Amino acid sequence: MNSFAMEWYLITLIMFTGFYCMLVSRSIVRQLVGLEIVSKAAMLALISAGALANNLIYAQALLITMIVIEVVVVAAGLALLVKNFRLHGAADIWKLDSLKG
Amino acid sequence: MNDYRLILFLLAALFSVWAVMARRLLTSAIMLALVSVTVSLIFFDYGAPWAGVFELSVCAGLITVLFVGAVSLIRAADEQNPENRSRFHALPLVLAAFAIASWYYLPAFFAELSAWARPGTGGGTIGLALWDMRRPDLLGQILMLAAGVFVIKSVFPRRNEK
Repeated sequence: MNSFAMEWYLITLIMFTGFYCMLVSRSIVRQLVGLEIVSKAAMLALISAGALANNLIYAQALLITMIVIEVVVVAAGLALLVKNFRLHGAADIWKLDSLKG
Repeated sequence: MNDYRLILFLLAALFSVWAVMARRLLTSAIMLALVSVTVSLIFFDYGAPWAGVFELSVCAGLITVLFVGAVSLIRAADEQNPENRSRFHALPLVLAAFAIASWYYLPAFFAELSAWARPGTGGGTIGLALWDMRRPDLLGQILMLAAGVFVIKSVFPRRNEK
């Protein structure tokens, strides 16, 4: 087994942890924590693939774009959390449906 | 894979499991920051310093501050109505089962996948890639940031005092 296969196997385990967190939790914060973990695994896979193809420059440029998107997603998610908490006093994803206009 | 990188990967996996299993949300946010720090160290080890710097400053810094701010707001309510912890406690068992089951086919698949890579030239600088060759990406990033600002604006509208 080459080293990239081992790295991607470990990345898969990290990604599984994030998906599991998103699957079992009802808290918005934990959903975002799970999303962050999945995103970290995706970033590791991207840089690892860039190193494999000897193209780290492009991989880094793509990763910077990805980090910008991640920040926006987290900021929007936390804004929804704060709004929902102000309205209902809870951070439960099942109460987000009451935010519809 | 060298030993240093293997240890960092294992630490990232350990911190991510800890972030999921932590009972307090603040601990979870701090563990997430440690995952980011570990991931940025892995980037430095790969020879990707720009990715490491962005990961360290934005993900381990800015996003952690956002998380800690949000958690400090909802902490009291979360401690009054805690989630059912049994599914979180099952994570090590489920992860171990997944790791053992996938060990038999995933590394072989990944080894085959890595053989498909077509090596690039590896030249250029990050400035050339970001400002010249991938310039349209910058437009997308600016639009994405504008979309984020618009989301915040629409979630917290200004109320008329009537």
